[in-house]
Amino acid sequence: MSIDKTQELVLNMGPQHPSMHGLFRMVVHLEGETVTHIDPKLGYLHRGMEKLAESRTYSQFIPYTDRLDYLASPHNNWAYVQAVEKLMGVEIPERAEYLRIIFGELARIASHQVCIASTALDMAGWSAWSYAFRDRERICDMYEMTAGSRLTVNIMRIGGMSAEPPEEFWPALQSFLDDTPEMLEEYYGIFFGNEIAMGRLKNVGILTKEMAENLSITGPVLRASGVDFDVRKAEPYSIYDRFDFKVPVRTGCDSYDRTIIRMDEIVESIKIIKQAVRDIPGGPIMAKVPKVIKPPVGEVYHRVENPKGELGFYIVSDGTTKPSRLRIRPATFINLQMLPIVAKGWKIQDVVAIFATLDAVLGEVDK
Amino acid sequence: METLKYLMETLNNLFLIIAEFIRGLFADPHSVWANLTMNVINFIIVVIIVVLAALILILLERKVAGWTSQRPGPNRLGPRGWFQTIADALKLMGKEDVTPAGADKFIFKIAPMIIFCLPMMTLAVIPYGRGMAPIDIDLGIFYFVAISSISTLCFLMAGWGSNNKYSLLGGMRAVAQMISYEIPLLFSLLGVVMITQSFNLGVIVEAQDTIPFIVLQPIAFVIFMIAGLAELNRAPFDLVEADQEVVAGPFTEYTGLRWGLFFLGEYGNMTAMSALAATVFLGGWQGPGFLPGYVWFFMKVGVMIFIMMWVRWTFPRIRIDHLMHLAWKVLLPLSIVNILLTGLGIYIYRFVMGG
Amino acid sequence: MFGKGLLQGLGITFKRMVGPNITEFYPEEKPNLPIRVRSSMGLEKDKCISCNMCAMACPNSVIKLTSEKNEANKKVLKTYHMDVGRCLFCGMCAEVCPTKALKVTQEFENAIYEPEDMQWDMIKRAERKGKVE
Repeated sequence: MSIDKTQELVLNMGPQHPSMHGLFRMVVHLEGETVTHIDPKLGYLHRGMEKLAESRTYSQFIPYTDRLDYLASPHNNWAYVQAVEKLMGVEIPERAEYLRIIFGELARIASHQVCIASTALDMAGWSAWSYAFRDRERICDMYEMTAGSRLTVNIMRIGGMSAEPPEEFWPALQSFLDDTPEMLEEYYGIFFGNEIAMGRLKNVGILTKEMAENLSITGPVLRASGVDFDVRKAEPYSIYDRFDFKVPVRTGCDSYDRTIIRMDEIVESIKIIKQAVRDIPGGPIMAKVPKVIKPPVGEVYHRVENPKGELGFYIVSDGTTKPSRLRIRPATFINLQMLPIVAKGWKIQDVVAIFATLDAVLGEVDK
Repeated sequence: METLKYLMETLNNLFLIIAEFIRGLFADPHSVWANLTMNVINFIIVVIIVVLAALILILLERKVAGWTSQRPGPNRLGPRGWFQTIADALKLMGKEDVTPAGADKFIFKIAPMIIFCLPMMTLAVIPYGRGMAPIDIDLGIFYFVAISSISTLCFLMAGWGSNNKYSLLGGMRAVAQMISYEIPLLFSLLGVVMITQSFNLGVIVEAQDTIPFIVLQPIAFVIFMIAGLAELNRAPFDLVEADQEVVAGPFTEYTGLRWGLFFLGEYGNMTAMSALAATVFLGGWQGPGFLPGYVWFFMKVGVMIFIMMWVRWTFPRIRIDHLMHLAWKVLLPLSIVNILLTGLGIYIYRFVMGG
Repeated sequence: MFGKGLLQGLGITFKRMVGPNITEFYPEEKPNLPIRVRSSMGLEKDKCISCNMCAMACPNSVIKLTSEKNEANKKVLKTYHMDVGRCLFCGMCAEVCPTKALKVTQEFENAIYEPEDMQWDMIKRAERKGKVE
């Protein structure tokens, strides 16, 4: 062993480690504090979702999609039920579409709040973490009063929504929307405007535009690298073409922009919800769909803009009540492949921060 | 009015009167035996201060953590949860004492013991009131800094002895961080020493009877606060035990009471550092006469500790290279400039006063 | 100026420190859950027509029920078991129930000591004392 070079240290971070969100494991090769190589190991939360779908009927699989990206479960419901509706050619009522938009955007806000919170927590910003989670609780309360569950909401059905929001939902939503500017100001004040946090995140973990495109990164991580791509605009699904909103794009390509772009997205989501609340029509919330869902033979791919990126469902139907094959394109699984490339050469503290800015949810990564 | 003044005087010197009484029990109040007894009593008092401080501070830390995140903090045991620490201590005592198989057993076991001794040694030179320093030595500041820097060694011993990669990383971080921050810490104290011409903490407090040195040395106070936080491994400089990165740093492998000793040592060191800050910059036991001196002293220490906790629960953790930059490129030049300015100020003062 | 953000953060935490708490004191104060919360299931035996829709809708085949025909040649529920260890609490069973015999209830303190206790006999459960309707 030569003495002029530090001996390489192989550090096993995870699956049980305070900063690993869920059950992620990475084998980090260190030279001093500097990371030379990262080896991500996945699959600790693998439940075989795609195979499970083959033995469930189309409706029975909806609760399972909640467990993919459990921080934004309405989005998973949405992607799946829309894929099935596309396959069957079902038109759903206007009111259901608007309710889906409202719940989808609420889920986006909740998910981004968790991302901001966990990024702060991975840098020991305890108070920032608790404030973001405190505000997320209000969204959870809204889920709870409508669908009956706080996390795995199971709110959408093939052909519409499971339930009409109760009376008290609308005032709660309105007061939440009114309070959001104050919330965002607080997050900015305690975390994003903090010089220590800026020093930790700015110019760290550079993901250039070319790299992001080559790695097929999607979602806020891609948009923080200066690529203007959002499925809601590029390929409007549901009724997103009726709303006036911007797709926030930042060009910093660093950890800071990857995190703060989520603040911009919350602002845009608020705008969408306000328009939806203004325009929502009355009427039924379920289309006329048969009790036993039997799509025609064929295949379909449908994608939506999950808070973390592009979430796609590919379904092959053989004309029976159960899908013949179902494939999920998870957003964070594909975003996660940038971690070993981007984190190389940074300090071990930066790796933790970069991993946090990816907003990986291991339920979605491992399926 | 006269009786009130007399009462105040008595209260102020209460502990001195007690000490004189105990000395008076000996045939020769200044014999070796009397001195020895007094030293033992002083030692016990310092131990009590360290343990009591740790007990209160652990609860206070959790309370402050709760308050900043809009929670009440621990509230189950006793009135408003004030017995929580006692329950925690009992739990720690009941835990199995595990020594890892590959550990360097002697180093592993001795590290927490040493770190627990340090706050007792440092708190022994602090004047808690007029003439109330348990040990009054002329090189007070010098002794304090020298002793408190031994804690670096404990962290390295714990990190190395545990035979764990996280511990080793944490231990190495401790060495890099604490050695770097010792220099600005010392230099910030040097301004005060230049003004008072003494290393004796008692003399420094006496010199602050008109104006505390925080007014004369604001830059030094800020530098002392930052470097002190880094010396103590408190957030935002808690890279040593950064749980998001190195799990618990050197303490990863410790269980039960050994871990508890580290914890006690940490809070004891925090008390000691706050006591030094209160003594050197905030005027120690000096204060308006309606309260005894030692009450003023502990109030000032409490305020310092509260600021440290408040900072901890607000700020994210700093990065290791920023930490080094801050020490060597910002704090060190600033403290040297401060010394220069202090020297100039003293020179001008003498010139003007004709001394 | 460097340090402005730091002071701002300290200000925010101080404001929260002196401000009110938001803690719910759970065991002393029970939360008032909305009526739709799916915390456990409640069965009204008399309403059940043994149509087996719930068992068919369940994604995990949690529900097992048997019935027998009475003298009027109508199906009457005999046993109704739920294997809650496999339950997702998705509420699909309560949703499809045509007579609203199976309902979601807000009884959320479902912690048990033995794995066998996860086999719920819904008929017995409906009869026990202190049931939350």
